[in-house]
Amino acid sequence: MTTNALPAKPWAVTSRTIVFGAVGAALYGALGVLSFIIPGTANVALRPALAIIPFVGIRFGPIAGFFTGLVGNAIVDQIQGFGFLTYWNWSLANGLIGLIVGLLAHYTREPAKDSRRVVWVAVISIVAVVVGLLFTVTDTFLGSTLGAWFTTAYLPAIAGTALVSVLLVPVLDKAWQPLANRAGR
Amino acid sequence: MEAPRYLAGDSFLGRRDPRVLILVPALTVVTVALIQDLRLMTVAAVVALGYYALARIPFRAVRANWAFVGVFVLLLAGINGVIAGAQEYGGAATELFSIPVLDVPVSTASVSYTITMLLRFLAIAATGFPLAFAVRPGDLAVAFARFGVPSRFAYGIDLTFRFIPTVSASLRETTAAQRLRGYEVSKTRNPIRRLEQIRPLVVPVTVSAFVDAEDVADALDLRGFGAQRRTWLRTLRFGTSDFVAIGLFLIAAIAATTATVSHRMPGLWLW
Repeated sequence: MTTNALPAKPWAVTSRTIVFGAVGAALYGALGVLSFIIPGTANVALRPALAIIPFVGIRFGPIAGFFTGLVGNAIVDQIQGFGFLTYWNWSLANGLIGLIVGLLAHYTREPAKDSRRVVWVAVISIVAVVVGLLFTVTDTFLGSTLGAWFTTAYLPAIAGTALVSVLLVPVLDKAWQPLANRAGR
Repeated sequence: MEAPRYLAGDSFLGRRDPRVLILVPALTVVTVALIQDLRLMTVAAVVALGYYALARIPFRAVRANWAFVGVFVLLLAGINGVIAGAQEYGGAATELFSIPVLDVPVSTASVSYTITMLLRFLAIAATGFPLAFAVRPGDLAVAFARFGVPSRFAYGIDLTFRFIPTVSASLRETTAAQRLRGYEVSKTRNPIRRLEQIRPLVVPVTVSAFVDAEDVADALDLRGFGAQRRTWLRTLRFGTSDFVAIGLFLIAAIAATTATVSHRMPGLWLW
């Protein structure tokens, strides 16, 4: 039995929503040190920490997922020196990934079989990444053209984030399940 | 990159209400997003750098951050600017030369467009740095609460900053523990293999952080978190200098918006 880990109401904000969202954001910031540039590309970085956002969205709800993506990305920018408002739209896009994946997890049926659940987690994560990162089209407000945004920002970002989501989110989810069950969540 | 740093000391910006340091970059983003003319953008960038200087952040301490921002801005704004500028303004000005291999024509218009983009990101970064290094991390939650963000979420921001050192320490411990078990990172250019190599670190750190979070959530519940209106120990008050600083940037943002709406904003500067 695993569905008990999901919050009963997707929009409910409890102390758990805030704490898990904050832990997710801190993990996103701290695990940023494990990022690396994909060889052969100019500036396409793979952030393994991105897997935290869909994981939090799926297991702790859309609000916690949104908080993790928004605040986590903003804190990484803050620590790197940009200030959290410079790439506000990317922070919001990351927040949307957490929100969308949380809603998808809540409103779609979670398979009981382990193998199918792995596929379910990966698929809803990718859908959320593809839809959520569309918000970065707001880069065009700062002078980027639609074509340049699509080829140099959106496509590399969804490729990297989707790869991380497929490889890490199901593993995180599988590792979390026994502990969630033991805690009665 | 482990935790936020406060580097502004007792400088002018270090003494400001944190809301000033949040509002100024937000207003700067609005202003510079609307400016297209290189000469006006130069003025905006100079003002932004003047603002940055008021934080008196030691350059030595942020050299690596500026290098990172510089490379990022050069790649993002520079390369995109040349390509997008050539696409958008290709026929609008005299062609200077063509970039070999890419066959992208570089004209005076695309040069103007690229420098404008570079200065735009420079201005945003210059006002963003004080937000990153001149606000005490503990003040951000109070500032957001004063902006009207629900106190639970404002507290969540505070909590995030508190968790970062703990999670970083956990990552160091896990790395050491895994090494004792024979964990090694072999050099590979394959991104999938690299992600798989990181897995033994990411999974235990993440799972243990969420297990520990259960205790924090229980502690908050036991103390009646969210049951009543929250007050903050730190009080924030706007002073005259705060109003003046915000006023100046607000006037610039209103002027840029009005000029754009009334079609009086100068377009790309061509010479």
